[in-house]
Amino acid sequence: MTAPALVAILLFVEIPFLMSVLYSFTKWNGLDKAVKFIGIANYAELMTTDPGFGSAMIFTLLFTVLAVAATNVIALLLAVILDANIRGKNVLRAAFYIPNIISLIIIGYVWRFIFSRGFDSFGALTHLGVFQLSWLGDFHLVFFSVVLVTVWQSIGFYMVIYIAGLQTVPREQIEAAVIDGTGPVNRFFRITLPLILPSVTVAVFYSLSNALKTFDVIFSLTFGGPGTATTSIALDIYKTAFSDSRFGYGSAKSVVLFLLILAVTVFQLTAFKRREVQA
Amino acid sequence: MKRFLLTAGLIVLCGALLTGQAKTLKLFFYSPELTDQYNDMARAYQAETGITLDITVNQADYVTLLRAKLNSGDIPDVFMSSAYADNSTYKDYVYDLTNADFMKSLEPSALSGVTVNGRVTGYPFLVQSHSFIYNKKVFADAGITALPRTIAEYGAVAGKLQAKGIQPFATGYKEWWVLPQTAWQVLAPIRDSYAGGYAGFVDKLNSGALKFKDIKEMSTVFDVLDLIKKYGGPKPMESDFNDQCSLLATGKVGIGHQGNWAEGSILKTNPDASIGFLLGPVAGSASKAGIMYDSNQTIRVAKDGSNVPAALAWLRWLTTSAYGKSWIPDKIQQLSPIKGAKASSAQLAQATVNLLAAKTPSYPWFYQMFPTGTEQGLGIILQGYCAGQTNRQQTLDAMDASYTKIVNASK
Amino acid sequence: MNRRTLRGGRRPRGALAITLVMTALALIYLYPLILVVINSLKTFSEIMSNVVALPSRLNGENFSNAFTLMRYPNLFLNTLLVTCMGTAGVVLLASIAGFKLSRTRTRYSWLVFLVCVAPMMIPFHSFMISLVKIARNLHLTNSIWGLGVIYWGLGVPLSLFMYHGFVKTVPTDLDDCASIDGCSPLRAFFQVILPLLQPVTVSVIVINAMWMWNDFLLPLLVLSGAKKSMTLQLAAYNFFGQYKIEWQNAMAGVLLTITPAIIFYLVLQRHIIKGMVAGAVKG
Repeated sequence: MTAPALVAILLFVEIPFLMSVLYSFTKWNGLDKAVKFIGIANYAELMTTDPGFGSAMIFTLLFTVLAVAATNVIALLLAVILDANIRGKNVLRAAFYIPNIISLIIIGYVWRFIFSRGFDSFGALTHLGVFQLSWLGDFHLVFFSVVLVTVWQSIGFYMVIYIAGLQTVPREQIEAAVIDGTGPVNRFFRITLPLILPSVTVAVFYSLSNALKTFDVIFSLTFGGPGTATTSIALDIYKTAFSDSRFGYGSAKSVVLFLLILAVTVFQLTAFKRREVQA
Repeated sequence: MKRFLLTAGLIVLCGALLTGQAKTLKLFFYSPELTDQYNDMARAYQAETGITLDITVNQADYVTLLRAKLNSGDIPDVFMSSAYADNSTYKDYVYDLTNADFMKSLEPSALSGVTVNGRVTGYPFLVQSHSFIYNKKVFADAGITALPRTIAEYGAVAGKLQAKGIQPFATGYKEWWVLPQTAWQVLAPIRDSYAGGYAGFVDKLNSGALKFKDIKEMSTVFDVLDLIKKYGGPKPMESDFNDQCSLLATGKVGIGHQGNWAEGSILKTNPDASIGFLLGPVAGSASKAGIMYDSNQTIRVAKDGSNVPAALAWLRWLTTSAYGKSWIPDKIQQLSPIKGAKASSAQLAQATVNLLAAKTPSYPWFYQMFPTGTEQGLGIILQGYCAGQTNRQQTLDAMDASYTKIVNASK
Repeated sequence: MNRRTLRGGRRPRGALAITLVMTALALIYLYPLILVVINSLKTFSEIMSNVVALPSRLNGENFSNAFTLMRYPNLFLNTLLVTCMGTAGVVLLASIAGFKLSRTRTRYSWLVFLVCVAPMMIPFHSFMISLVKIARNLHLTNSIWGLGVIYWGLGVPLSLFMYHGFVKTVPTDLDDCASIDGCSPLRAFFQVILPLLQPVTVSVIVINAMWMWNDFLLPLLVLSGAKKSMTLQLAAYNFFGQYKIEWQNAMAGVLLTITPAIIFYLVLQRHIIKGMVAGAVKG
């Protein structure tokens, strides 16, 4: 009964991926009918003489750390507040979820509009210095703009995962703690957090793998610029394969990205699962 | 599930058969701003011949998509690319037009970019020009009568405009393609310094005998980029094509580096805008300041399909029919490569024609001779320079490294 | 059930203040989208002069422009077809396989499970060209149906992962029940097991439908932009390219593209959180 699922996955993901792995040992521009086998030369180049890939790696790792931390902390905070029995909580949950429903291509387009035309108007209105800064043009600031848009778009999804987790926390345990006189902050860290660790594991797992693969928002917001300031590994792969016409080399980079994601997420899952067991 | 797959397969097959029978030519084009004009032409062609042109238009992902199509065997009958280096990029796929009768009706100068060893590999679609565009009203209001040609003169004009409270330049630096167009124009007279002109120059770069860091004119390139940035408003790195067009149209800036293709967008914002070309400053004497004028956008016929005769028939119609001859000057409002074609009434097309008639220097888009991929690669490196990510030396080193990699890969 | 009523019990102190603060925050949060709405009703010159100001008069002209220029009804139907077909296939394939793999505890089934969920780590860009090649050979390109079928392969891994986790919480005695009745295992699955998996099915539907509705690169590559078989996202993107200078029409186009997804979400909102409890968290 698993055969149809397995066939679909093999056919549309894994076989194409294995084909890319094969291409990673070739010199091929993605077009010529002749493909030349060159062994591990692509991998050697990637490790030794490609500053572009190095900077994309650094950007992606920094981006991942900040985006995963910000997303999860804010989403958890929102979840805790919107899990309480307050008026209008369903409407509020929906409000924070809405950006997650919109395609990333459109999100990028909308934010370009906000950063350019919008910020001009805000600046004229408020005379605040923040709006005079070049959020997409300054190669330091642009990092935070990309993180901001990514976090803005994805918070809703992780908030829902955390709300789901919070709903599994037995009310009685919380109430017992209230009677014992434990404060709300203590209550959260001593009782709630350990009980929702499974949610944390899942949310961190999703956000990690999404951040390491990040592409769409950057593609439409900055196209990796200015210069290479916001070029992620996935975008670097795209540019290598299609702009530089180095399909074989781009494939080698994507194999490395796959291994990176695999290593990071497997490490995260085992580490978190161990904590869950202890808790 | 099996039955379903079967049905789905059948539907797909039927669809394929049906389109095979109908007289349809599949075209894959870029320049989405011309979509209306493409469709108008397709309607005219269908009315005259009964043949349907199925035109797909794309921009940002054009190259990706074209590659996926060529690669997977889903080859369009006709597609577009750049001239020069792209001649060899698509060599395995394009039909040789050397002996096509209608090619004789095209200006020989337009064919130089698509000719490799005497073989004509594509059909030049448009003749375009790029340089600095200025808003005539802004210049008049600021009392600027002498048009600038050197860096010093550009600096003086920019200072005057700024003193009047007008932002001198819209940079366009957010677009990776505006930067190299701006930069390479400065280098254009370099053809006089190398045996064999541009071909000799590019050969030396390709063989590694010449490095960007050894080209002394590069310092003028950086000077021009710096000047534009200095007078490019509070957020010079955020200015994109949109921004350039709307600011030029509304007279909020005086100058922007763009091509005649921007005219449509400028007039959409302000139908009364009055614009013209300035001569771009170059490394070298002021008399060499000029515009970049070439046919780069190229129509290619795919050689392996069964529709080659139909594609040739369409190109013949485009070159010789009454509609075809007037399509570019009247509808697209740009310059046509067809011999004896009438001039377009568009302002920038007219400006180009007048400048050429006055024997003003005009240069081909020689940077398209750099290997495919360098336009974007070097554009992004120059963008990094303008954003302050790298200094001049680092920029030159990065350009050399990137260029060498792409050359080696294309060998 | 019990837990829900308990949760409904007591409002925290300062509940009203929290509601007010959160409402203000939500408005700030959604302000970029509010700006889209405001500007979609303006004229071009109004947008150029001031983005924040309200339109001088309400007109739907931008919307009717975008509606006809994008050929909205056609594309809406296309997108709906892809989404429905893709999602239905994913639910079917993933639920059966997830159930089966969760119940069989052998080394072999663990391996199959790993093979099935490994794609969650594979970046799409690393295999897209080869994927298009394969799709082409299977005659799945340039067709809305073909695109739907390709989504099965791409959507199953995460969905299977979610089902696999949830099935662990379904007591095994029901499986036996079903098989004793003597019907075929597949029928038993549909009649007895699948209804029990309903909470996670809702999440799987929502996650997949949202993604397929919004996806860009795969439709771009597979449909290669042919007019007849375009999706809304492709049209919206081309629309920005063609009318890039006309913000007013583009903003209306943005709204027309995202509204169906927002409505879909609001209708299913209640179930989504329940499904997440069931699916993701126990995974």
